[in-house]
Amino acid sequence: MQILLDNADFASRMLQQVANGLTKGSVYALVAVGYTMVYGVLALINFAHSDVYMLGAYFAYYPARWLGYMPDTAEKPKAPFWLMGMAFLGAMAACAFIGALIERLAYRPLRNASRLAALITAIGVSIFLQNVGQMAFGADPKSFPRYVDQSSVNLGVISVGNTSILIIVVAFLMMAALHLFVQKTRTGAAMRACAHDMKTARLMGINVDATISITFALGSAMAAVGGILVAMDQPRLTPTMGLLMGLKAFVAAVLGGIGSIPGAALGGILLGVAESLVGGLWDTTYAEAVSFVVLIVVLLVKPSGLLGRAGREKV
Amino acid sequence: MRKALALVLVCLALAVFFAGCGSKIGPGYDEKEVYIGLFVSTSGEIATFGTDTKNGVELAVEEINKAGGINGKQIKLIAYDTASKADEGKTAATKLATQDGVLVSMGAVASGISLAAAPEFQKYGIPMVSPSSTNPTVTQVGDHIFRICYLDDFQGGACAVFASKDLKAKKAAILQNQDDAYSTGLADFFEAKFKALGGEVVAKESYKKGASDFKTQVTNIKGKSPEVIFVPCYYNDVALIAKEFRAQDVTVPLLGGDGWESDKLIPSAGSALEGSYFGNHYSQEDDNPKVKKFVEAYKAKYGNVPSSLAALGYDVVYVVKEGIEKAGDFDRKKIRDALAGLKAFDGVTGKFDIDENRDARKPISMLKIEGERFAPVRQIKPEEVQ
Repeated sequence: MQILLDNADFASRMLQQVANGLTKGSVYALVAVGYTMVYGVLALINFAHSDVYMLGAYFAYYPARWLGYMPDTAEKPKAPFWLMGMAFLGAMAACAFIGALIERLAYRPLRNASRLAALITAIGVSIFLQNVGQMAFGADPKSFPRYVDQSSVNLGVISVGNTSILIIVVAFLMMAALHLFVQKTRTGAAMRACAHDMKTARLMGINVDATISITFALGSAMAAVGGILVAMDQPRLTPTMGLLMGLKAFVAAVLGGIGSIPGAALGGILLGVAESLVGGLWDTTYAEAVSFVVLIVVLLVKPSGLLGRAGREKV
Repeated sequence: MRKALALVLVCLALAVFFAGCGSKIGPGYDEKEVYIGLFVSTSGEIATFGTDTKNGVELAVEEINKAGGINGKQIKLIAYDTASKADEGKTAATKLATQDGVLVSMGAVASGISLAAAPEFQKYGIPMVSPSSTNPTVTQVGDHIFRICYLDDFQGGACAVFASKDLKAKKAAILQNQDDAYSTGLADFFEAKFKALGGEVVAKESYKKGASDFKTQVTNIKGKSPEVIFVPCYYNDVALIAKEFRAQDVTVPLLGGDGWESDKLIPSAGSALEGSYFGNHYSQEDDNPKVKKFVEAYKAKYGNVPSSLAALGYDVVYVVKEGIEKAGDFDRKKIRDALAGLKAFDGVTGKFDIDENRDARKPISMLKIEGERFAPVRQIKPEEVQ
């Protein structure tokens, strides 16, 4: 009897860890999509992507603050629903613009330069954005406004925060919409064509520059959503909040097969759940290492990732 | 010939200059005033701590001067900003000692800055009293270095006593910041004392500095069903941790140390900390008339409720005053001896003695979070923790 009880207890704990992992993983997936799309088209690791994630959270913070929904005061009124919608859309639009702008100013002039030059530029842009963030927003942590009241939802043997459920649902809807966009629309077809062979795509009359801008814009909008969702669950903003998230999401993209959108989604979820289970079964200090072990193993065993195609080396 | 003479004159001038530098420091007072130094960080990352301390100090100086000063002399406060940097602490100490020739010095908040400044004061034989450096090594620098706050080992132990005796907990869990010596230190002292009192630490989880996702740790702790959870961290982490516990439906009280104190704690934690407890240097709601008078005077002057750092800043001036009055003379050696033998000093942060290690032996105030109040529960005295 005792063994049975212990096992039930163990099972519910592991189930809870899976739920934790799904929450974490959904955001990894959402951010990973941006890495994978850009890599698919340009074979460039856009290190600035994680800072666009950070900007997204801040862009959703300021409207509520300006309208008097001060998160740092004791009264702290709840922001209305319409404002949350506006904050989401506004942050997505602003980040889409910034993402496209980064491409236009930093990467396009280097389109024909060596890949190393582009990579180092990406790191430079990332450091630039972090420091601009520190100057513009201040280095001290900001408390995110109350768009939703956090509460506990009981799902049988486990309890999860309502924000966790919100994260999982919104992340999946966003990724499904993106997948449909890429598969079903003309612009999506143009993106796939550019990813396949940019030169031929240009010869076929596709506006390659515009397509690349759209790719950056879409990926950045996804990152903005990720940033806002995480800020709702863990309401603390710092200019360096994107750093670790960027690393994890990048690993998720590699795990799923870089260049593949469903792969990024799968990679994110798997990584999130793996981290939580290692933390639950073993030790949380090792959980952080999981993503890096995964990265090394994937690169050794199946460099193309779970859903990636083993393609020829892009030049 | 003329050249050689010039050389001799230059050498002479240099010799006189350096001799001046090495000469005895000033007496620390004149006919009307006594010079007292203050070095805290009023700029940089820990500026709020330093500003609060300085506010408390200035309030006390103002009161004392209005009431006639110390042994008939007005206090002349000489303050330097240490800009949240340890080497600025050393610079300030050198200036206070050699340039201003202070009689006694007060500072700093951060232990790192106190440690950089203390050897200078020790060298010149100037007593230094820190209002709020909790690291044990600070007062080990020398026999002229004092402090008036409790130490981290006492704080961790007192929380264990509170968990065991007041909350009647048998099973406790700990969630610590593994990259912060303050956090791990408190966690270790808590664990040792809680076990010694017959309790069991069922889970000890860690997180990395800067983490904001505590889901995994919270689930692990939840699985062990503790009756109290010790979270010896700073307020901005505590708020996120508390929210995650409540999201996973863990409703037992959380418990912490003075790192919790901030006017941002409740706004960022919302109702997640309702009914939780933390230990602090004093209670703003203490019935003690001394505390009431201080809180009111502070509010009137600065417009906000004094933090514990402000209270310690206020007390440190009165400690220095009592030291000088007991010495009966404006002599640094006599003042040092008087401070070392200070007994039953009655301040707003409690009644305390200075012990043989030049540290304060004083009670900790356990506070309960009720709405937006930090309601006093009780004081735990040093005797209870030993």
